[in-house]
Amino acid sequence: MESGPGAAPPLKVIGQRLPRVDARERVTGAARYPADLSLAGMAHARIKRSPHAHARILKVDIARAAALKGVLAVVTAADFPELPLGASVPAGETGYDMWMVAQVNMARHKVFWVGQPVAAVAAIDPHVAEAALKLIDVHYEVLPAVLDIAAAMRPDAPVLHEHLVTKGIEPRPRSPSNVGSRTVIGRGDAAGALASAPATARISVQVDTAHQGYLEPQAVVAEVDANGFATVWASTQGQFTAELMIAAMLGLPSSQLKVVPLEIGGGFGGKIVIHGEAVAVRLAQKCRRPVKLVMSREELLQGGSGPPAAAQFEIAVGAEPDGRLVAIDGTYRLDAGGLPGMSPSLVMQASAALYQTPNLSLQGYDVVTNKPRTEAYRAPVGIQAAFCMEQAMDMLSEKLGMDPLAFRQRNAAVTGSTMPIGTPFPAIGLTTILDHVGRHSCWRDPLPAGRKPRGRGLALGYWRGTSMTSAGHITIAGDGRPMVTMGAVDLSGTRTTMAQVVAEEFGLDIKDVHIQVGDTKSVGYSDGAAGSRVARTMTAALVEASHDALGRLRKRAAEKLQCAGDELDYAAGVFRMTRTGAAISLAELMKATLTEGAIIGRGVSAKLPLGVEVGAHVCDVEVDPATGLVTILRYTAFQDVGLALNPAAVEGQIEGSVVQGLGWALSEGFDYGADGRLRNASLLDYRMPTALDVPKIDCVIIETPVPNVPYGVRGVGEVPIVPSAGAVANAIARATGVRMTRMPMTPERVLAALEAAREGR
Amino acid sequence: MKTLLTCTVNGEERSALGDTRDTLLDLLRDRLGLTGTKEGCGNGNCGTCTVLLDGAPVNACLVLALEAPGRQIVTIEGLSNGETLHPLQQALVQHGGTQCGFCTPGIVLSAKALLDANPKPTEEDIRRAIAGNLCRCTGYGKIVEAIASVAAERDPEKWMPVFGQDHAQTND
Repeated sequence: MESGPGAAPPLKVIGQRLPRVDARERVTGAARYPADLSLAGMAHARIKRSPHAHARILKVDIARAAALKGVLAVVTAADFPELPLGASVPAGETGYDMWMVAQVNMARHKVFWVGQPVAAVAAIDPHVAEAALKLIDVHYEVLPAVLDIAAAMRPDAPVLHEHLVTKGIEPRPRSPSNVGSRTVIGRGDAAGALASAPATARISVQVDTAHQGYLEPQAVVAEVDANGFATVWASTQGQFTAELMIAAMLGLPSSQLKVVPLEIGGGFGGKIVIHGEAVAVRLAQKCRRPVKLVMSREELLQGGSGPPAAAQFEIAVGAEPDGRLVAIDGTYRLDAGGLPGMSPSLVMQASAALYQTPNLSLQGYDVVTNKPRTEAYRAPVGIQAAFCMEQAMDMLSEKLGMDPLAFRQRNAAVTGSTMPIGTPFPAIGLTTILDHVGRHSCWRDPLPAGRKPRGRGLALGYWRGTSMTSAGHITIAGDGRPMVTMGAVDLSGTRTTMAQVVAEEFGLDIKDVHIQVGDTKSVGYSDGAAGSRVARTMTAALVEASHDALGRLRKRAAEKLQCAGDELDYAAGVFRMTRTGAAISLAELMKATLTEGAIIGRGVSAKLPLGVEVGAHVCDVEVDPATGLVTILRYTAFQDVGLALNPAAVEGQIEGSVVQGLGWALSEGFDYGADGRLRNASLLDYRMPTALDVPKIDCVIIETPVPNVPYGVRGVGEVPIVPSAGAVANAIARATGVRMTRMPMTPERVLAALEAAREGR
Repeated sequence: MKTLLTCTVNGEERSALGDTRDTLLDLLRDRLGLTGTKEGCGNGNCGTCTVLLDGAPVNACLVLALEAPGRQIVTIEGLSNGETLHPLQQALVQHGGTQCGFCTPGIVLSAKALLDANPKPTEEDIRRAIAGNLCRCTGYGKIVEAIASVAAERDPEKWMPVFGQDHAQTND
């Protein structure tokens, strides 16, 4: 970093490789997740779920279940207000579709997937609750189901939603279909440019539904007090979003409800939407006891949670002989599951963002099928789209006879170049990353020969992220130490990095900062942990809160030292008069003045400039031609993080994100039967990577600070999953000459592709 | 049906009235209040609920509570000694080997079983020993490093025995 007149003083706590401030409770098992909570008289809840993929609910008869000894309450859709189409709760720029969230939590009139909730029971213990589920009689009229994008888009397909008329088509269609919306983004004439381009490449891919795979199943404890005030101990990515959703689903004013976020055992996008929290509150209201609801793994895989979307994409790209890209033409069909609303717009933009092209045509479709409503997963749909786009770019570079890195350098988006939506790029840093790749041994060193075919793949990833609102406050304790309360949950080491920020601002050791996650009635409104937004925006909020608190402390110190505030210097917890050297520490100041009133500094960050995330991955693989097994030999992830608040935490995010991507790339995929039932609803058959399946992931951290953002921080956690499957696919193609068009690239699929290539099919 | 179960947990004799359908995991979490052991899948696929049963790592969700009487059980609560963390716990803290923390207790116990039996494991040995423990946050690299660092620095004289018995010996 440059230094000189006017340069910022060197950072002391930020940028340090510090252990998590909450690591001790994690390694001792003391960290408390909702399933660990037990309250006196607590009832245990279970959910009755649909066995059908598509059916009309004719009648739900709870009489036999309610009569079972030990059953305390039973609820169905009749116990919740019916929310109209278009109901929403606020979140960021768009809000969440509350009609959808309500259906995810309790079906009404129809079921759209196997596992959708139709009733719930609270009982004296889990065994009784389980027995009661079998006594709930649900009468269905079973309807024909559609289970994939192609089937759902056929003109004669059974229609899931009578109200669903495709948006984005003129004139407006006269009949409903399974396509919720069509989105078009473009400029120039992509079709014309492709037709006349000297070199073109075209690929069509299909990606299976996967799962976020958080180790902690959804769990909640709800209690309602004598005045009707509800407290919900939740595992959630956003306590305020959860509160808004619970309140809307129950028709309860949010002043009658508090969400207390406990530790979250992984979320990755799957714990933004509520899953059973409102149902637990309703049961608690009915049985007048605290209620605990914990999902089983089978239940959450079999329709109890929102998996990421299956996809079917086609991309064509064309270039001049010198490698200059002339067109990108892409079609993106997303499987939203049983309820519409998965707009492909963001991912369409993201997948084309890193390449400059004069002609661009992107169209996307939001398609409903009789599968669980899909939800977010770490850079939602980014990995699926990059699996397609990065293979298309790799194929084009092969056609041109160009090195894949040189081809990308030739066409890389730069600061100020046009983004897919037509506006200029903010600070991006892609060319710097590509230069780093070119200089690194993972790219320059030849791939060591093996007995089986080996190949090296390169892929890029982009993610826009989001900013939204974050809030926090800092109370100065009687001993002068800052006590931080923040409105974000700790999804990814947030307590640690934010304690580093406050320690830096106060000039203190991190051990002198106490930090906690606030509940919805003890801290200001904050949006949830999603879109790689928390570290950036909470840093901004806590810098503001620190300045506010230090300003108030300065005033009080000036009174004590009988001088003006601007006559004081502040450093390392001490106010000192420049003129006389008289000094007072924060500890002395608070000891002397605590009873004069609390010192509280407040900070809010809203609409912070985006810090786009960009990464490049290089992957070496070996492919066993006899079995189709792909082994990852070496993997290096390059990423511009703006400024690493804590390099160990940044590496932890990148390594974990890449390994999730490798899981989906090679082994993770939902296998649905013709009846819409998931056939691999266990962690044995849904195969996530183990320690034996992946190498150590090497991280190369690049720091190009984002202008007008405190400390120049960029988002970190999402983009490292984006290029991973594309990098693996490109490496497989370089090893074998075969393009993989289906993900996950399981051994049987790789073997089939190799055999097809050998037989010239 | 309820039944009285007595077993040794973390060196202490414990009794509880259990349901005959309870697993060892239910007994530990719901009847004895030892919630440090987590449930990730309930059918032995994720390793989250790993505890030591007579020194060997087992998925507590696959053991019936009725099998516990007369056995020595070690859970995550039994590893640290007051304020002093077990070297494996300390290493996971130092190396960033814990993120959401849900898999961590199980990883610690699988690693302890490994180091009790094999003082000088290779990286392959370590990866094999925790292959039954899924972690979704870390990508395993920092966990493997942490365990390897304990093995490298391990002083056999100071290897913390659990409640007076060294499981390295019970395994021999």
